[in-house]
Amino acid sequence: MASLPDGWITNLIERFSEDRRFRHVAVNREESAIGLCSGAFFSGTGSLALMGASGFLTCIYAITKINYTYQVPLLIGITMRGRPGDKAKFHQSNGLYLDAILQAIDIPFVPIERTEDISQIGIAYRHSRMMARPVVVGFTRPLLRGDA
Amino acid sequence: MQFEDCFRLLAERLTDEIIVTSAGNCSELWWHITQETERVFYLEASMSLASLFAGGIALGTPSRTVVAFSGDGAFCMNPGMLMVERQLNLPNLKHFLVANRCYGSTNDLALRLDEQVDFVGMARAAGIERVYRFTRIEGLSAGLDEVLTLPGPVFVVLDVEPLGRKLPSPPLDGPEVKFRFGRYLERTGGRPVFDTQLSRS
Repeated sequence: MASLPDGWITNLIERFSEDRRFRHVAVNREESAIGLCSGAFFSGTGSLALMGASGFLTCIYAITKINYTYQVPLLIGITMRGRPGDKAKFHQSNGLYLDAILQAIDIPFVPIERTEDISQIGIAYRHSRMMARPVVVGFTRPLLRGDA
Repeated sequence: MQFEDCFRLLAERLTDEIIVTSAGNCSELWWHITQETERVFYLEASMSLASLFAGGIALGTPSRTVVAFSGDGAFCMNPGMLMVERQLNLPNLKHFLVANRCYGSTNDLALRLDEQVDFVGMARAAGIERVYRFTRIEGLSAGLDEVLTLPGPVFVVLDVEPLGRKLPSPPLDGPEVKFRFGRYLERTGGRPVFDTQLSRS
């Protein structure tokens, strides 16, 4: 699991770091997670690139060049920043443009909003491999806080 | 040293390693010299991520040495890659920075960003202990075995002259690169890459 933090996922990242089932790699920027996880595919290693919504928006070049050109599957986890209830003004642009950008690059998106949605993460991972393209799962704040 | 002399030497000596080449001259020249289509991933469609892409391969393929070639133009886009490489601390990852001081894939336009930059110093400052710099072909020839055989993450700066001419890109579509490379890894002892395995008979 390769990550760069967003305030909503710091606890999740720490849980991954402490869980011996996973190898956690803290990357310097979100695009590096795309590169590392895409390479990991070729070693038969399942992976997750975990980042904030803003970081995801910096990855469009890497995703469309690496994963689309070579048809490399990848599961990407992002925060759904900028939705109603997010009090961070500097994340409101995500609320305005994130959905449109996801649609613009035709990347499948699976919202993870309630506890019962968590099983969709595995389905999204397998869907990514099946269609040989990246799939994004988006985590809401209530889910990440355990309030959903 | 001359870029082509450098790559011809490397192509002659790197016979069993897994290779990842970054966009532009590195991919074009490796293809021009070797015409290889299996153990090489021509990462032409991306700048700055070749070494971490290679790191992902090396992470799950500990029995093989993985060599990444980055251009200095690509390196300047993401020098923080060195910190991730240090953290990964992979004994089988060898990162070669091809420093031709220009954007070779765009008509050798001068890089300009690197005039005051010490790539070796940057790598050491990032915590990578085994850092090499070769400015002459004789030095590279003499030092290459050490680079390849001693364990530990390695960063190698290759000072080369601009190629001075445009070479064609490898004539492979992305999915062909993916399947040739992935099937090669599976066939040569790697873990299954694809969900459907081909018969080995």
